[in-house]
Amino acid sequence: MGPLDPLLSRRKGLNPMASKWIYWFEELGSKDNDLVGKKCANLGEMTRLGMRVPPGFAVCVSGYEQFMEQSGAGEEIRRYVKDSARGFKEVEKQIEASRTIRGIIESKPMPYDMKKELDACYDKLCARIGIDRVRVAVRSSGAVSMPGQMETFLNVLGKDAVSNHVIKVWGSAFTARAIAFRLEKGMDMQKAPIGVAVLKMVNAKSAGVVLTVLPTTGDTSKVVVEGNWGLGESVVSGEVNPDHFLIDKETLDIESTVNEKTKMVVYRSSGTATVEVPRDMRSKSCLTGEEIQEIVRVSLDVEKYFNTPQDMEWVVDLDLPFPQNVFWVQARPAKFSKKKQDDAEYIAELMTRVFKF
Amino acid sequence: MKVYDVVPGLEFEPERDFEQSPAWFLDGTHSVPPWTPMFGWFWINFCRHGMQYGAEKLSLPTVKGWDWRFHNGGGYLTLLLVKTEEEKRRREVEFRKAIMPFIQDFDGLWGGFVKEVLGLYEHLKKTDPDTATNIDLLQNFEDTINTCRRMWEIHMYMMYGVYTAYILFENICRDVAKIDDTSPLFHKLVSGFDNKVFQVDRKLWEFSKRAQQEGLADVFLKNEASAIKSKLEATDKGKAFMKDFTALMNEDGWRMQRMSEINLPTWVEDPSPALVNVKQFLQKGGDFNLDEERKKITEERLAAEKEVLGKVPQEQKGWFQQLMKLAQKSGVFSEEHDHYLDLYTHAMMRRSALGLGKRFAKLGALDDPEDIFFLIPDEVRRAGINPDQFNLRYIVDRRKAEWKEWQKTPNPPAFLKEGFDLNQAMGVLVQSMDPIALKVVVGSMPQVRPELKADLYGICGSPGVAEGTARVIMTEDELHLVQEGDILVAATTSPSWTPVFSMIKGVIVDRGASLSHAAIVGREYGIPVVMNVFEGTAKIKSGQRIKVDANLGVVFILN
Repeated sequence: MGPLDPLLSRRKGLNPMASKWIYWFEELGSKDNDLVGKKCANLGEMTRLGMRVPPGFAVCVSGYEQFMEQSGAGEEIRRYVKDSARGFKEVEKQIEASRTIRGIIESKPMPYDMKKELDACYDKLCARIGIDRVRVAVRSSGAVSMPGQMETFLNVLGKDAVSNHVIKVWGSAFTARAIAFRLEKGMDMQKAPIGVAVLKMVNAKSAGVVLTVLPTTGDTSKVVVEGNWGLGESVVSGEVNPDHFLIDKETLDIESTVNEKTKMVVYRSSGTATVEVPRDMRSKSCLTGEEIQEIVRVSLDVEKYFNTPQDMEWVVDLDLPFPQNVFWVQARPAKFSKKKQDDAEYIAELMTRVFKF
Repeated sequence: MKVYDVVPGLEFEPERDFEQSPAWFLDGTHSVPPWTPMFGWFWINFCRHGMQYGAEKLSLPTVKGWDWRFHNGGGYLTLLLVKTEEEKRRREVEFRKAIMPFIQDFDGLWGGFVKEVLGLYEHLKKTDPDTATNIDLLQNFEDTINTCRRMWEIHMYMMYGVYTAYILFENICRDVAKIDDTSPLFHKLVSGFDNKVFQVDRKLWEFSKRAQQEGLADVFLKNEASAIKSKLEATDKGKAFMKDFTALMNEDGWRMQRMSEINLPTWVEDPSPALVNVKQFLQKGGDFNLDEERKKITEERLAAEKEVLGKVPQEQKGWFQQLMKLAQKSGVFSEEHDHYLDLYTHAMMRRSALGLGKRFAKLGALDDPEDIFFLIPDEVRRAGINPDQFNLRYIVDRRKAEWKEWQKTPNPPAFLKEGFDLNQAMGVLVQSMDPIALKVVVGSMPQVRPELKADLYGICGSPGVAEGTARVIMTEDELHLVQEGDILVAATTSPSWTPVFSMIKGVIVDRGASLSHAAIVGREYGIPVVMNVFEGTAKIKSGQRIKVDANLGVVFILN
């Protein structure tokens, strides 16, 4: 029996409620892409590697399927699609179909048994963190790439809000483009391989990236950390001139370049916004020396484990004490980074990365 | 009732095989229509062996090749995935070393294999099937079996290595130049190279020029394909022409009419398909397209190389160029291997099996020499030395009756375990990261862009735009229907279709990826190719006016 087993055993059960459809991140790994989607599987793998990931849980693809069956949404969509099968050719019709299908999904309450389980997980998450009602992010986690954006909801507070937003993420699988794609491929309209990640919101003091190879020269003897105040989006998108720290892997000496940071991205009650950085913070380093050391230490561990340079994203929490405040939200092999080796060896190294999902 | 298996041990059996894997895919490219038992036996045993051999020799990190099953003349495949992360990491370390020969000396590697297989074929040809003793004839058959086995080892080892390089190059291009295998600029980067299949086509074109000069053109133009040879041989000039043409066939005509089957004559036995190619060149007139086009395409490639290199940082240019050269050789390999490996070996299999078939028929074991294709090697061995002592008709009768039944009902596209759907199965293929599954079986999925209001959405296999009359061709024996200036619409194409590319303005195929035959040949002829439209042959009718915009990856039906 191969790696497909979890998927199969999950589907074999006669009583759908008998199978597990919510997993804590630490129970997951990169092999669980089919079960919970790519995002959740990646968070699971990072947790497993001992990296500090915002605590949370993953709602399986099967959870979505259960919801569609038990709430009656699946049947309603099937009927709607059947009645209007000829009418989806034009963009306008697809937009209308998207609105209707999302409406059907969002109008259904979470079935009683599912809601009970989801509530229990949220309570357990709150208990783990030690906060009564913890703010969470509810993110989509697709198992295969599908055209169209799937949504992410930030600052979700309380049990009812969590289950409502899980349903909203499920509904977001039905954009107009995704509908056109399914029609063309003859895929089942009411099916979508989509998982959901529910994780604690990190109250970001600062955030950014770390690369265990210099992207410009391919030098693997150094680590580069870049960061800004607030959320990491400003660093990833290259909008601001972030703080830049160059660390030697041997000596761990840090060469700091603290830049004038005028803008930062922060959470709003829904979504994010770009705001001015307060004057007194602009030319201050967004990381302390010990925070930099912690980021470098973890990144080198991960590089060693995967035996390939890493491109990772970190967030430092405002409220927690060091070192519990350093969180990781992404880890992947670094792209396009030349090592100090001959061209042929380097190509061979790049070819092995072809096999990394 | 089945007396015995066609491929012992590898017949599809749901109960046992679903334990191993929940999804088995029909190889629609090679096993539709259903195979004869003997061909199926060779393919299932040795393609299966070759894929596992290639994946293991290269120590591919995520996949150990494919497993195959036989069902009613169809080949069904599934992937053998590496199960643990530890094993993946161990295999990665080995893979880095194993892939080096491809990077360091691709030409030496491929050239060495070509030399090796040509040596094996020469050895097989030394046996004359008409005069050899029974023992020598049987020995020739055993040597053919081993040649086929070795051919598949080389085939899959090379293919896994080459396709991995190609996928990497695509990934890198996506990062540095924001282009991938669905973009015209990318296709320009990998076009403008000669290969063995084109060289044969050029020789056929030269024969068309000679026919013109020697006043033989009318023999081609006024006769049916099957009559051309005998009409030519009725005159002295024609006889001399056929003598040289036969020499070309003996050199390069070890091709099958259907690439993956042995029950149709090779070009060596029956040169009609090659003579039809000459006829089509005559009908078309003018110069050999490929030469004019090649110059233009090569210039475009050099410009594309310059454009993309401009986006690569100075320190990275060295390895990038080396990788680009390797990726460019992928297309050449993809075309050439069909000629040197599959087609040539299958022609040798037919030659050897038919030699035995004739002997069996002569000495009483069979009625018809071609009945040998309904036997499998163990049964052939039974009567090999003393065909006069055995009667194999009872096997042939049953198998032939079964085979005829297979032709009536198409094999299902996949066998899926209960509760497992096609989407999930495709997901597993994608996650295997198997380079062959990705580049040949799955391909890039088209994006539907409703704002274009196109009738079919696919991906770009070769850039360009063309408008013309649609010609829907389902099998190779309909190829003579293709007219100058048509747009070819097919489920898929294979090397024996190459010559019609000189006549047509564009190609639309239901399934394909950037290393499929239609894409590679389309790029060399500079005509637009749109692939993976899925329903082209269903939606388009011959004679309709259609417009192909390969740059956008779409097709418009104009009337």
